[in-house]
Amino acid sequence: MKKLLAVLLAMAMMLALAACGDTGSQNNGGQNGENQSGTGDTNTDQNNPSSGEVTFDKTIKLIVPYDAGGGVYNAAIIVAAEAQKYLGTTIDVVCMAGNGGQEGIEYVYNQASDGYTLLATDYGPLISTAIEEDVVYQLDEFTPIIEMTQVLPTFFVKSDSPYQTMEDLIEAAKANPGQISVGHGKFHSVPHLPLMLLEDLSGADFNEVPTSGGSEALAFTLGGSVDVGASVPSTVAGSVAAGDLRVLAVAAEDRAPEFPDAPTLKELGYEVSMPAWYTIFCKSDVPQEIRDALEQGLADVIASAEAQETAAASNVTLTGTGSAESYTLYNNTIRDLTTLLG
Amino acid sequence: MALGEVLVQALGSAFQPMTVLYAFIGVALGVTVGAIPGLTGDMAISILLPFVYKVDPTMSLGLLIGIYKGSMFGGSISAISFGVPGTPAAAATVEDGYPLAKKGYPKRAMLQALYSSVTGDFFSSILLIFLTIPMGQLAIQFGPTEFFALYVFSLVVIAILNRDSRTKGILASVLGLLIGAIGTDPVTGASRMTFGIKLFRGGFATVPVLVGTFAISELIIQYANAHREKILYKLGQAKERLTIDLNKNKDDKYGWKHYWDTFRCTVVGSVIGTFIGILPGAGSSIACYLSYGVGRSVAKDADEFGKGSLNGVAAPEAGNSATCGASIIPLLAFGIPGSATAALIGAALTMQGINPGPTMFSANQVIIYAFFIIVLYASFFNLGVSRLLIPLYAKISKMKPKYLIPIIFALAILGCYTTDNSISNVWTLLLFGALGVVLRKFRIPLGPFVLGYLIGPAAERSLRQALSMNGNNLMVLFQRPIAIAFYIATVAFIFIICYTFKKNKETLDKGAHSDDE
Repeated sequence: MKKLLAVLLAMAMMLALAACGDTGSQNNGGQNGENQSGTGDTNTDQNNPSSGEVTFDKTIKLIVPYDAGGGVYNAAIIVAAEAQKYLGTTIDVVCMAGNGGQEGIEYVYNQASDGYTLLATDYGPLISTAIEEDVVYQLDEFTPIIEMTQVLPTFFVKSDSPYQTMEDLIEAAKANPGQISVGHGKFHSVPHLPLMLLEDLSGADFNEVPTSGGSEALAFTLGGSVDVGASVPSTVAGSVAAGDLRVLAVAAEDRAPEFPDAPTLKELGYEVSMPAWYTIFCKSDVPQEIRDALEQGLADVIASAEAQETAAASNVTLTGTGSAESYTLYNNTIRDLTTLLG
Repeated sequence: MALGEVLVQALGSAFQPMTVLYAFIGVALGVTVGAIPGLTGDMAISILLPFVYKVDPTMSLGLLIGIYKGSMFGGSISAISFGVPGTPAAAATVEDGYPLAKKGYPKRAMLQALYSSVTGDFFSSILLIFLTIPMGQLAIQFGPTEFFALYVFSLVVIAILNRDSRTKGILASVLGLLIGAIGTDPVTGASRMTFGIKLFRGGFATVPVLVGTFAISELIIQYANAHREKILYKLGQAKERLTIDLNKNKDDKYGWKHYWDTFRCTVVGSVIGTFIGILPGAGSSIACYLSYGVGRSVAKDADEFGKGSLNGVAAPEAGNSATCGASIIPLLAFGIPGSATAALIGAALTMQGINPGPTMFSANQVIIYAFFIIVLYASFFNLGVSRLLIPLYAKISKMKPKYLIPIIFALAILGCYTTDNSISNVWTLLLFGALGVVLRKFRIPLGPFVLGYLIGPAAERSLRQALSMNGNNLMVLFQRPIAIAFYIATVAFIFIICYTFKKNKETLDKGAHSDDE
């Protein structure tokens, strides 16, 4: 009986260890990596100046400030899966959703600027929170390395809704100010901000109803609790394909590949283009050569057939927009959000 | 493709040896993580998520469904054997499961939990398979008005159930509501009521709050009691500590008779669990408590509730397990997950290139039928595996507290940290552990407290959504039929409870009724 108990306990402990493998392995990886880099440094230090090449010899931690299973997380693990081959090291995706994602961002902020701790995020926790709340970092202390993907804010109604087009909806909202309700995901989230901008530009007045997220916005729209829903394509693609929903417009430069018939707001004459980038960031004081190497390696990962294939199967369109362009996009987003929220 | 052909293919992929193996492993893993306080099925699934998309879709589904079902039952093992719920969903099982174990019937309680779990799970799986679309339609009828009414009903049912004092039950739920309000505004996401304390920002995470309140406080009290008994023993004033022994009580058996005696409560739990399960955001903890509350009002031995009634184990266990299949219903019908775990299963499907939602029925017919078959046989795996594991796991409770308590304590800390990779979670755990001790010492019931904490933010959001959709007119709350039904049920419940309460008091006053505590 004692023996059995011992075996069971051992199993329980093992499970616990396996369970914390997500963090544990990185810690181990980090420690091993440090040892390796300790011994390896002598080599690379000698090699580096001559070859000018940065190699990665320990596991990179990619922090996601959300729980597992969301959009940023999905993109991150698609990229991480192929890292070994193109970046020369593995990437561990670690979810740190505490305090609205601030714990994850602070974690990256407090790590050494060696390029081994990166942040994968959209603008919500990084920029919106920084504008509205006290945060420990300044926005220029993070620099984008590469964009993984973009998601387009999408406005939709039930198939039997009287609003056939976005123009119908805007006209109706002008005629009945505050009467048409829009369920739009969380307050100041990716679909909410373009809605606010659209109201400013068009003069339409909607009744904005914040929900707990895209799923609730979808449920309320399908159930008729709200007249219009706003979310992202992945949330609604299934119901649109099944004919339960109609997409009225997307708030981006180009139409969404999932909904080729839905116009952009720009086509309709409203300068509302606020796609949400899911981008990998590092701290700005990471040395330029490391950033370049990361950008190059990650670009190769994103361009690889394997990653593209997995992404296509998961309905993710990998973009791989480089650092310079992402930097402009980052600063534009900061400017737009400061105007909208500030 | 003809249905017959699809079924044959689906059977083929559902019964691939690897899929069966994965489902089997999933159930065993689920029961194990469920049994360890602080480790939950959700956590196991999120850790495995990066790996599942590398295997065949049916295999990963087998694994995830197995974990989901196993963990729903697993939580009751530790709830019964040492009064520490292994998962938030098993919190209500402690109320009667632990007293039963202390009375010398741990095995009977666990088997009751298992059979009720499997019954509830099977019930909701059948509904998932045959009534996905109509049940999904019911789910989306729930707008904010209906959700608010449901939350009011749930909270009232739990708050007034307390045997000792209804005042304390109400006090506890108000306290829970207040603590749930700390952190972020559920509508705007702005920080509020943080008192400038960093730990309070973002609110308290659910898992550490529940594990702290129930498990850590219980461990602290058990440790203190063990210590006191040791001292008394040394002083020669007390006999050795009684430990729960599965083999000691010859009478500790479970038969068909028990199953039929508790069948009514199992059915109540199954129906409530299924209903709560299909509603996105309500959650298995609410299902478990609500089943317990309603189960008590229909059970013949209502007076025994809280003292070790088999019905008090049957109702919540059927309730929490019935949420499994049900929470997948809106996922398949509309791509709206009914629970956090269903959301993770949805993410796993997405990674496999399968869009969870109505198109699955046409685009991925084979997978969806294979999925249904796996859902069904995983129930039986759960029955078999758990039946084998119960005696093994239960033996852990025979360990000396001086070894057992630190181990559970450490696992709880580890589990809470790992949930979000967050050290704040550990402080939250300890904070609520201490709070739990205080609540227990003042005999303030933990159930209403925790339910208040869980329901508070959700109810607030629903209320504010409902009002904002209707020009801040309070009357809107009473204009939808489903909502009205809930308010009527709430009032009726209050009357029933007050009536039986009064009757119990009378009998209590007449007979010399001793309350064994």
